[in-house]
Order: sequence, then C-alpha cells, then structure tokens
Amino acid sequence: MTVTTAGGVTAAEAVPETRQRSRRGLVIGLGAAVVALAAGLALPYVADTYTMGLAADAALLGLPALGIGFLARHLGLISLGHTAFFGSAAYGFGIAVTQFGWGPMPSVMFGVLAGTAIALLMGVLVVRASGMGFLMLTLALSQALYQLCVQTSFRPLTGAYDGLVIGLGSDTSFLGLSPADLQDPGLFWPVVWVPLAVGLVLVWLVGRSRFGTTLEGIRENEERMRFSGYNTFAPRLAAFVLSGFLASLGGALFALNAAYVSPDVLGFARAGDSLIAAMVGGLGTLVGPLVGTALYVWGEARLNSSANLHLYTGIALIVVLVFLPGGITGTLQRLWKRVKR
Amino acid sequence: MNAAQVLNGIALGSLLMVLSSGLAMIYGLRGVTNFAHGALYMVGAYIGYSVARHLDFWLALVLVPLALAAIGVLLEFVFFRPLQNRSHMEVGLVTFGLALIAERVVVLIWGEKTLSLDPPAGFSGTTSLLGVDYPTYRLGIIAIAIVMAAALIVWLRHTRTGLYIRAASQDIETAGIMGVDVNRISLIVVGLGAALAGLAGALAAPYISVDPSMGDKFLITVLIVVVVGGVGSVGGAMAAGMGLGVIQTVVTVWSPSVSVVVPYAALVVVLLWRPRGLAGRRTA
Amino acid sequence: MAVFEARGLSVRYGAVVANNNIDIALEPGCVHGVIGPNGAGKSTFIDALSGRRRPSSGRVLLDGEDITHRSVRWRRAHGISRSFQRTSIFASMTVGDQLAMVARRNAEPDLAGIVDTLGLGDVVDRVCGEIAYGTQRAVDLAIALIGRPRVVLLDEPCAGLVADEAERMLRHVRDLCRERDVAALLVEHDVEGVFRTCDTITVLDLGEVLSSGTPAEVRADPKVIRAYLGSAA
Repeated sequence: MTVTTAGGVTAAEAVPETRQRSRRGLVIGLGAAVVALAAGLALPYVADTYTMGLAADAALLGLPALGIGFLARHLGLISLGHTAFFGSAAYGFGIAVTQFGWGPMPSVMFGVLAGTAIALLMGVLVVRASGMGFLMLTLALSQALYQLCVQTSFRPLTGAYDGLVIGLGSDTSFLGLSPADLQDPGLFWPVVWVPLAVGLVLVWLVGRSRFGTTLEGIRENEERMRFSGYNTFAPRLAAFVLSGFLASLGGALFALNAAYVSPDVLGFARAGDSLIAAMVGGLGTLVGPLVGTALYVWGEARLNSSANLHLYTGIALIVVLVFLPGGITGTLQRLWKRVKR
Repeated sequence: MNAAQVLNGIALGSLLMVLSSGLAMIYGLRGVTNFAHGALYMVGAYIGYSVARHLDFWLALVLVPLALAAIGVLLEFVFFRPLQNRSHMEVGLVTFGLALIAERVVVLIWGEKTLSLDPPAGFSGTTSLLGVDYPTYRLGIIAIAIVMAAALIVWLRHTRTGLYIRAASQDIETAGIMGVDVNRISLIVVGLGAALAGLAGALAAPYISVDPSMGDKFLITVLIVVVVGGVGSVGGAMAAGMGLGVIQTVVTVWSPSVSVVVPYAALVVVLLWRPRGLAGRRTA
Repeated sequence: MAVFEARGLSVRYGAVVANNNIDIALEPGCVHGVIGPNGAGKSTFIDALSGRRRPSSGRVLLDGEDITHRSVRWRRAHGISRSFQRTSIFASMTVGDQLAMVARRNAEPDLAGIVDTLGLGDVVDRVCGEIAYGTQRAVDLAIALIGRPRVVLLDEPCAGLVADEAERMLRHVRDLCRERDVAALLVEHDVEGVFRTCDTITVLDLGEVLSSGTPAEVRADPKVIRAYLGSAA
C-alpha cells in the first residue's frame, strides 16, 4: 500500500495515506456502479407495475436519505431539515409549471435550484452548530418553511393546506415522456434511477477525495483543523449544500412524478420519517440510508392500512438505537467482520 | 391592540412557561433534549379530558401531574438511566421515537377526533379586567402558571434538593463525586418535568382543543423557547416562554403570516447573536 | 532578535484577571518555559497568544508586527502553531492520513523527518485513537510541527505521560526546535523537566509574572523560592 516515491514528489506523499486511493479501488467501484446502473435499468422488464411503483417511491425518497447519510457520515451532523430542500424543490417545480407556465425540464431545473438555494441559505445559519444544536436548528428552520407554506396569504402560490395540483400541458414532454407516461412507474423509473445511481457514485467519490479527508478532519476535531490552518466553515457549507442538492433532486422529481405537492412533504412527520428510515438502514454506510428507505416504503405499503405506521417507525427507531447501533447495514458489517476473523 | 389580546399572549406564555421549565430541567441534568415532551403534554391533556369528563376537573389537575410523574419515573428507569452512557444524541432520538409511539397510542385510545372540554363551573364566564371582559378560565391559567413558576424557582434556589439539582446540572460527574445521589436527583427531575408537562396539558384542555397533533405543534415552539432561554436554564426558559407567547400573540393581531415565523426568527437571531441563549448556562 | 513577543498582555473574564500585563519574548531555536501553579493563567496565556481567546489589552507581535487580532488561520499560515493540553488528534483517522492532511495545508518539505524523529514510522497505518497514549501525544506534537512553523506554542505536551515518556517528549521538543530553528513556548507542569529543557523561563503566579530569566536566574530568585519552588528546590 506504500506509494512509490519517484523523484520530485513532495514529502507529504512519502507518508502513505491509508485510505485506498489506488486506481484499482476506483476501477472496482466504478465497475460495480455501472453494473448496478444497468441492472436497475433492467428492473421494469422483470417487475410488475405495483413493485415498480414502490421502487420509484423508494428511489425518490432515497435521494434525500443519501444526502442525510452523507452529512452524518462525513461531518457527524444529523439533520431533521432535509424536508425543507425536498419540499422547496417540489414546490419550486410546481410553481414553475403553474405560475410561469414552463415546460417540465426547465421546471425541474428551477425546482432543484430553488431547493439548493434554500440549502445554501439554511447552511449559512446552521453548519456552525453541532450535535443536538444542529438537529434542532434544522428541524426548526424546516418547520418555519412549513408554517409559511400553509399560510393563507401564500395560497395563490402554494395552495396552502390544499396543496398544489401540477397540471402539465398534454403536449409537453420530459426526456421523451408525456405527462401520462411520467405517472407510469415503469416508464418513470429511469428518470429517478439514473440520478440516484449517479448521486451514489458522486457521494462515494467525494468521500474518497481530499475534500472528503478534510470533512473527516473537521468531524473528528474542528478546532484542531482550524489550528492546522484549515477554513472549516466553507467545507461544511459545501457539504451541506451538496447534501441539500441531492434532496432537492429527489423533491423535484417527486413532484414531476406525482403531479401534486401537499404541504405534508415539508411536515414534521415526514422529517422524522426520512431520518428514521436512514437511521434504521444505517447512517454509517454508503447504502444504509437507501436500504432503510426501501424498507420504509415497503413497510408503509404493507402496514399503512391500519394508519399506525408511526407506531412501527417509532418502535423501529428505538429498537435500532438501543439494540442495533449502526442500523441494519452497520450490524451486518460488524457480523461480517466477526465471521471473517 | 387591546388588553384582551395582551392577556391572550400572557395565557399562551403561561402554558409555554410551565411546559418549557420541565424540558429545561431535564436538559440541564441529563443533557438530553426530550422530544417526547410535547407527547407528555398531549397525554396530560387527554387524561385530563377523561378525568374531567367522568369525575371532576379539579381532580384532574391533581391526578394528571401524578400520572405523568409516574410516566416520567418509568422513562427514567427504562430509558434515561440505562442509556446514560450513550451519546445524548442517541437518547434524544429515542425520545423522538417515544413521541411517535405516544401519538398513535393516544389515537388508539381516544380516537382521531378533536375533543373539547368546558371550563369548570365558576370559570366559564368572563371577568371584567382592565376595561375588558376576559374569559375567567384563562385568568385562572395565568394565575396557576405564575404560582407554579414562582414555587419552582423558590424550590430550586432555597431547598437542599434544589441545590443538588443545580449542582448536578452544572456538572453531573463532579456532583456525583461530591456525594450527591445523582440517580435520585435525576428521578426527581424527570418525574417533576413530566408532571409539569402533564399539568400544562390538563390546563390547556379547556383552552386549546385536544387533538393528537397538539404535542407536535407545541414541541417545536418549546424547544425553541428552551434554546432561546439558554439551554439548561429554568429561569431563562420561563422568561423566554412568556416573552415568546406575548410577542407571538401580539404579532398575530398585526399579521398572522408574520406571527407564525416569530419563534423561528427569534431562534435564529438569538443563536447568531448569543449562541448560548439569553441566560447562558445557569440553572434557575 | 525576538521573533515572537507578547507586550503587556492581559486577559480578563468578567471581574477575574487571568493574565495581567505579561511580557514575553521568544527567540528562534530556543525553548521558553512557562511554569506556575494551577490557576496561574498558563493556559489562558497560550490561548491569547494563539488567537483562541481575545486579550483584553496588550499586544502580540510577530517580527515586530502587531498580530493581536489576526485569525487562527492567518497565524498558522504565517508560522504560528500550537498544541493542546488535552490530546488533540483526529481519533478515527490513521496517523499517516492526518499527518498528510495537515502537511497538504502547510507545505512541509520533510514530513518523513518528523515521523522518524518522533518514532512514528511503525504506526502510520494505525488508527490514531487506538494507539498508545504516549504515541498519540507524539502525533499531537507532529501535527503542530508540520509546515516549518517559526513559533510553536506547546500546552503541557507531557500531560498524562509516565516519567521516561515525558523525558523523551521534552528531548524531542528541544531537539526539533534547535534543528528546525523554531521558537518554542513550553507550558508544563513538571518544573524540573522545564528547568532541564528550556533556555529561558517565565514563572506565572495568579496571572502575573513572578520571575523571568535563565533557569539559573529563576532558580536563584528569592521570590520564586518563597512562592513556588519552596520545599521542592
């Protein structure tokens, strides 16, 4: 694993960085990503419409979960505010369609931009906080957005409690899909699967990069990083915005698929659910939040008949926190290490 | 703007004051943000509703805090104490899960419908005060809350147990070394905090309608109150609760849309200007 | 000529005066010790010099230029570095990763030299939180020395070390400072160690300078003997 020191390399490289930055790891990872991407694209050919509906929902909610997991893993920050970016992007898409009369593609871009801008704004206020302070600030600010959204004075824009029906013109199309196609889960699937897979690779690459090491240093010891000459605010803000961007992508595509946004996407319950799903899957691993979200969507479809979903998510959260630290994937990882030894 | 509106603000502030003092005490001692505090308040309101319906409202004001204190003791024994070596974040999230469970359990027992309760006999009318006819019951809330707040402060400042609580809130390890029975103190604080939340709920039942989302609605405001008041500071939380109640109600008269963001704006302003809250870290 | 100076530095917390009118001057290649009983204001002093706490009055000078209000980052970029009383490492990163990370920010021509001198060669691939405490302290020192700082402020580098580890640590501090021409400020509890290691010494008591000079001068100062060394000397 020692880096060969040819002439002219700086001494910094003479001390090997143990994280595998080798080309081999990169090739294996990217190869796996391509295989997964292709396998995912083949899914509609083998699964029925009901399953595809669940898969699309899981992928849509998976994008904010990926963002939540990224912040938790690299900065140790637990956010209850990703509904703000998801919701702003969804509303941004809806407003662009209904108010500006834009086509679906520019509206999706506008939605993503709106959500990311909210992330930037909120990030400036919250990234200096840590631990519980960060959690409460993100929760409070995202709930402020919810409160604003349901105000009667915003009714013309957001529809207040009624939500916003987003009627795309029947002559418009999004990447060749008509508005009717967009609501067919099998046809819509690639629209969300590709961004999710690309997002996953992006987050993985960022984690391996020097920027990732800087974030790790800040997570471990923010003060020492400052005393080592690092600006610690800008990297935290950048990570927060990246995380918010992923959630925004999910929100805009969610509204595109559903053709309707309700204020619930900004609500307290949704904020809790997305964090719980990510935690149950495991915040410590790359795919943990996605596993948890998929499980959540499946559970919701299975159990919601009795309207007691929150009873189960609450119990799941407590069980995971008390008995399975690291969530499902974290526990599997520990077991695997024990078996290997 | 008239006296009735100001009094409405004080009534809301009174509820926030009672509710947030318990949250601040638990935070000060255990370092845990109790996300279940809103749920305790809601459970208090529902139990209060049932007791008042079948027995007597005044009895509810006694029974509800007792019942909630019992729930608090249970929380301490089942969660806070066994998990005291875990990170505060994890324990906080456990209480978040408890809040979700409590909300559904309440729906399973009492149903999803909004319930309403009449004020007790003798408090249903209005009283003439400062030139306006004001609902007597709300004056009652204000009076009870102020008495509770004063009693709590006196108790924290002038009794041995109060001294122990303040010491343990400063530094729980040192207090333990100095011979304070930290487990006993924690039991008292969590039980009392839960009882106060229940009392706030029972008081609120005839004032605000009782429904399963009432806990969530208040929780965030109360969390903000505690942070703004200075985490862990009971006096700061009380002052911030009263202040926020009055400001929010007064702003509602002027513009309802602006008033809903008042707590959030207060939070951001205070945290940017004084990151440790208005009272810093001091108990009582 | 002094590279780094404090002139009339005072720090107050409300009514409490933690540092009162302290003067100090550091020379390249020399180690200046600061000793004093608990509560003498040693840590406050190092915080004020390193930019962690704003002094109430007085000035901090680098090459004669006033840098009192410069940021922590500015100071590090201009060659002022510090360590902390509690080990301040990046616990979940490997030793190699964190040294490389700090070296990336602060151009270090001879990282391998630091690693060798401090005997960290065998642990570069180990996760820092899992290695022996004495070795963690060495990593702590290494982080402070990366990037050829001109001034290093060390806050009790030997805290928690056993006698021979402490001895080795102080020897490393002295050797590395001489070799790299660094001006070092060494706050330390172990009075005898400071007398052996340092070229000059300042004794603080209740936030004020009680005595200052070479180890021999300080040892002979009646005020020091009375107030501090007492029976120990």
